[in-house]
Amino acid sequence: MSLSIQPYSAEQPVNPYLDVDLYDPDADLMVLNLGPQHPSTHGVFRVKLILDGEVIVKAIGYPGYLHRGVEKLCEKLNYSNIKAIIDKNDYISPMINEQAVNMAFEKLAGVEVPRRALWLRSLLAEFQRIASHLIALGTFGLDVGGALGGGASAFMYCFRDREMILDVFEELSGCRFHYNTHCVGGNRHDVPAGWDRMVLPALEVIEARLDELVDMMVNNQVFVDRTQGVGVIPKNLALGLGLTGPNGRASGIDCDLRRDAPYNAYGEVEVRPAVRSAGDCQARFLCRVDEIRESARLARLFLAGLPEGPISGTKPNKGPTSVKIKEGRCYVGLSTPRGELGTYLIAGGNKGLSPYRLKIRPPSLHHLASIPYILPGNNLSDAIAILGSLDPVMGEADR
Amino acid sequence: MAVDGKNDSLTYTNPAMDLMARLPGVDIFTSTVDRLLTWGSSNSLWMFPMATSCCGIEFMASATARVDIDRMGTIVRGSPRQGDVMVVAGTITVKMAPRVKKLWDQMPEPKWCVAMGSCAISGDFYRDIYSVIPGIDTVVPVDIYVPGCPPNPEQLMAGLMRLQEKMRAQQRGEWTEPEIRPETEKMNTQPDIRRLLDDERDEGISQAQYDGSCSLGMHGNEHRRHDQVGNPVGVDREQGVEALILRAQAHAQAMEALRQEAAQEFAAAQAAKEAKAKAAAEAKAAAAAKAAAEAEAAAADDDASVAGDAADEAPAGDGETP
Ligand code: SF4
Repeated sequence: MSLSIQPYSAEQPVNPYLDVDLYDPDADLMVLNLGPQHPSTHGVFRVKLILDGEVIVKAIGYPGYLHRGVEKLCEKLNYSNIKAIIDKNDYISPMINEQAVNMAFEKLAGVEVPRRALWLRSLLAEFQRIASHLIALGTFGLDVGGALGGGASAFMYCFRDREMILDVFEELSGCRFHYNTHCVGGNRHDVPAGWDRMVLPALEVIEARLDELVDMMVNNQVFVDRTQGVGVIPKNLALGLGLTGPNGRASGIDCDLRRDAPYNAYGEVEVRPAVRSAGDCQARFLCRVDEIRESARLARLFLAGLPEGPISGTKPNKGPTSVKIKEGRCYVGLSTPRGELGTYLIAGGNKGLSPYRLKIRPPSLHHLASIPYILPGNNLSDAIAILGSLDPVMGEADR
Repeated sequence: MAVDGKNDSLTYTNPAMDLMARLPGVDIFTSTVDRLLTWGSSNSLWMFPMATSCCGIEFMASATARVDIDRMGTIVRGSPRQGDVMVVAGTITVKMAPRVKKLWDQMPEPKWCVAMGSCAISGDFYRDIYSVIPGIDTVVPVDIYVPGCPPNPEQLMAGLMRLQEKMRAQQRGEWTEPEIRPETEKMNTQPDIRRLLDDERDEGISQAQYDGSCSLGMHGNEHRRHDQVGNPVGVDREQGVEALILRAQAHAQAMEALRQEAAQEFAAAQAAKEAKAKAAAEAKAAAAAKAAAEAEAAAADDDASVAGDAADEAPAGDGETP
């Protein structure tokens, strides 16, 4: 008796808890560990694959190689210190992580944020989204094309474009990477003079080069063969696992918190999230490409409509103990480049200086939960493409 | 990698090289070859990225178009067998550290290690956390420290150039000052989050973390670097060991006392139980005896009555039976 494993489909779901002993007594199964130190696992993630020939029979994910105990650390730090730590969670989009905790603090402290700060935050978030998706596209090209094949050029192009956004951020906040540019009640850094003369050409160049990049990849038969119909996540599975962001939208879940539960300045503009229904690697790739275009459009809108006024509703923080929240609890969800980042805050630890508990809902962890379902039935080489297309960030998944 | 003589098992000796070194005239040849090899290896530092988190992204950025460290001859290779320099970029957790050590052991000699970013150098603000090891130099020997959070690609490039200079100086036989882990600033944090160099930090935390990171099958060479560069962590450790022993003794005593107390309690309880059981048994025996006595008395009465009955009936019976 020989059982053949088919990739996940709505009609014939894969059993992620398959008992390997019952698979086929005569099969010559092999155990292969992918990661934790593998250039293609996007961080330190380990997948234990059980292979029958080249076909994956069972996949078990092992997260936790980057568990830094951030939530525990936050219980000991002051509110002003936490923002700087949270930057490092999702290290590909630090700007949006900061906004998440800041929004939670502001909600509980009842601080009014001026309109200019809200618009500036949305603008920065859109820039960060472009930068983050550029990394995702570049590393995906590297995974699919191989380090010395054609994929390396996509990687180089994407990182070259991303540098322009980092320059924009550096001009604003002085940092290339971890910014800490938000504070409770507003932003710390106002827009420098002549910033738009730097921002607008960068957006233009990125959009023009994006067309080139998509042309290079999507019109490439090898790329199409390796991504089309590979790693399909049907809509019901995506809903069940809680996929959000581009991965969920590629499976047909039309949900984007920027439009459905607007925060910052998103309520004042029209957001058109890219939705596809195929749910395969190519759909996820194209969703990200469309989102870059959409983000560039939104960034232009936000830059043009940046209102005048103060940048912060409160006085600048003089010391680490200047923010005090006595009690309360709240949930804040916002849309990062990976999906819904939830922050659940219970205030009241350490005489109101620290949270009693800060829980983070990382979208990447939910994306990684799909791995036992969608890897079986595919070839080993497809596993690399699927992992790359999910674009997980281990700093966020392991926390 | 220069291996100092502290741990003999790690000292690399090659019998053929020893023999050659003793032959006359060969040293001129070998020194020439050595110079050539150093020239070659210092200009082709192939990097093996141990990129775990945020610093890994800046590491990737340094290999791409803007900074392009490829032009220094440093190509990024994904396999430890092809690497000369291990760049540890990112936080190393207790779960990851054995893998780092394993991959480091798989790299062929000569090899160097660069600690990129404050997490790899000292654990940074995650240092107090139970799952983060306080610096990669507790696991593998580090040649170059590149501080920053994260360091810019240019800083990594400067670090690699320092490494090249160090290699050339070592080839010339010059003494190279070992790099010292940059001082961590005293941070303005709350009392229960203390930095490693802070006097008020609980030594137990540092010690538990330090020992935890050193006890991951690191073959006992973990203190090498600290002793060599006189790192304060090493000093802390010496004092910490005594504290640890004292604490362990105190703990053992406390445990012993507890155990004795528990044993006494147990014995007392046992005695009480036995006494109770004995009393119960006695009471039972007494009751039984009483019951028996009563039964006897009753039986005697019965016997008497029966006898009386029998006596009453006997004459009739006696009269009938014969
Ligand atoms: S030093 Fe900073 S940037 Fe580097 S891994 Fe640590 S937290 Fe991330």
